[in-house]
Amino acid sequence: MSIQIQHVTKSFGTFQALKDISIDIESGELIALLGPSGSGKTTLLRILAGLEGLDGGRILFDGEDITNVSPKERKIGFVFQHYALFRHMTVFDNVAYGLKVRPRKIRPSKEEIAKKVHELLSLVKLENFHDRYPSQLSGGQRQRVALARALAVEPKVLLLDEPFGALDAKVRKELRRWLRKLHDEFNVTSIFVTHDQEEALDVANRIIVMNQGKIEQVGTPEEVYDNPKSPFVYDFLGNVNIFKGRLQNGKLKQGLFEINAPHALNSYEEAIGYVRPHDIQIEKEKVNNETVAAKIMYIHVVGPTVQIELKRQDVDEYLEAELTKEQYKTLNIQKGDIVYVRPKQLKVFIPEDFSI
Amino acid sequence: MTKPLEVRDTQVNTKVSSKSYALQESAMIKWMLIIISLIYIGLFLILPLLSIFVTAFEKGWETYVASIVHPDALAAIKLTLIVAIIVVPLNAIFGLAAAWAITKFSFKGKNVLITLIDLPFAVSPVIAGLIFILLFGAQGLLGEWLIAHDIKIVFALTGIVLATLFVTFPFVARELIPLMQMQGITEEEASISLGASGWKTFLYVTLPNCKWGLLYGLILCNARTIGEFGAVSVVSGHIRGMTNTMPLHIEILYNEYQFTAAFAVASLMSILAIVTIIIKNIVAWKAKEV
Repeated sequence: MSIQIQHVTKSFGTFQALKDISIDIESGELIALLGPSGSGKTTLLRILAGLEGLDGGRILFDGEDITNVSPKERKIGFVFQHYALFRHMTVFDNVAYGLKVRPRKIRPSKEEIAKKVHELLSLVKLENFHDRYPSQLSGGQRQRVALARALAVEPKVLLLDEPFGALDAKVRKELRRWLRKLHDEFNVTSIFVTHDQEEALDVANRIIVMNQGKIEQVGTPEEVYDNPKSPFVYDFLGNVNIFKGRLQNGKLKQGLFEINAPHALNSYEEAIGYVRPHDIQIEKEKVNNETVAAKIMYIHVVGPTVQIELKRQDVDEYLEAELTKEQYKTLNIQKGDIVYVRPKQLKVFIPEDFSI
Repeated sequence: MTKPLEVRDTQVNTKVSSKSYALQESAMIKWMLIIISLIYIGLFLILPLLSIFVTAFEKGWETYVASIVHPDALAAIKLTLIVAIIVVPLNAIFGLAAAWAITKFSFKGKNVLITLIDLPFAVSPVIAGLIFILLFGAQGLLGEWLIAHDIKIVFALTGIVLATLFVTFPFVARELIPLMQMQGITEEEASISLGASGWKTFLYVTLPNCKWGLLYGLILCNARTIGEFGAVSVVSGHIRGMTNTMPLHIEILYNEYQFTAAFAVASLMSILAIVTIIIKNIVAWKAKEV
């Protein structure tokens, strides 16, 4: 089912949670709503589910205006942040609930319900847990029951609120992979809320980055990561190094240090260059003014990557670089060395970009 | 008044603290505290309770039975039970409605409503009775109108029920509000998102989740309904065999120096109270298990 969100606004008292949000979501997409807390992502998800009303705008499911349709008629599956399983029901009854409460005319028979529930339970690998209560399950198991319960009603849209937020790292990774598999299998349009950029990049085929009730950027994981449209997105998606300076003739200047910024043609007194740690090149010799001297403060080797913390010698600022193990070995650097740092790829933002 | 939730919490806490090294006291202090509690309970609870039964059976089993099967006594027992049958379900409905409104919605004046629910606990039952006399009595605000339409409220079952309702309505609501607040509304939201109607959500999700709290509140409410004296005394008019509830009947017998009969009926009420406490504890224990 395709979803159109058109000019949606929502306030809680004086706090404006959503400011004129418009997005088109195509059928079968797996979307991540990414943003810090208070960015409005959960509010937007709850509005899609009909759990929250909206102040303005409208929402279309498959071209049909459902803005005023009650949640129970929207054909959505909602997975709550803390699962919200019915604590007094067994796993079986939890999953069967959506089918059991249907009006008699469209309610499947008892046998059909049981068959469907067992199918779903085997899908989430919990066949043997059907007579357990939620309190007897681990976090990951509860989450899988919550998913099975939401899928039981055969929703056209699956909405997940921070689905993996409360789980430990290993279970989280497993469930992520599993959500993607499930999404492909059921071919249901899915939207999940997360504040974890890694999760969004890993799972979603499109990411909607939100901040302060507005959409900052919509795009594929590669697009938003490699080509952030605003300083916020740059900052929020992964680590970043900041170079402040004057923008002149396509160069960002700061003291003696000059970096080429070919896309920035106008001149500004104040501009900020953003560089990802893996776009920082470390050289042992000074080649030109594009490099800046820095002292290696700390070297941290994790798996295949090496993280290096550097302190600039010209100004009191720290930089972070990321090398592959091979690069690191070829360079042969040590803590305390003075090296020359050059940003390989730089994205410059001018003050207007910040006044959002 | 104890709330089942808090009871649960304190039980957990005492379990922890009894093992806590920092809170260990010397054996002497421990035993002193236990003995003080035991003496207190023995003196002010067990002894009077025993004396009720001793006095009740003073003149033998036959007198005891005769006092209870006396027509006036039977009428009092019947009236008390009728009042309970009317009051307890009404308070169940009111308590559920009020707790639901307070915990699942946000609206203006919510705190005022919560405060008002507590009002009967703060007001003396005698005053509660007087309110109804002032409203519905012959000299009361609506008295003339009621007489003109031949509606009897004061000195009749209606008045007794109204006064008892006033005194007992906080019990269920007070039990349910903290329980429902703790449980939040996400399970209800989940139910709605799965396509259930509001009524089915209440029936299958809200009610089962708060059933033990509800039952606990109803037991307390029932105990108070059966035992209420002050408010009922003011509105009932003490008409023998007509508007006397059990507590009022006991008072009349006592004032007429029929001690054995008075204590016989009192022992019946005490048995009811003890059974109530036992059921209450079973419910609290069940609620803890779930």
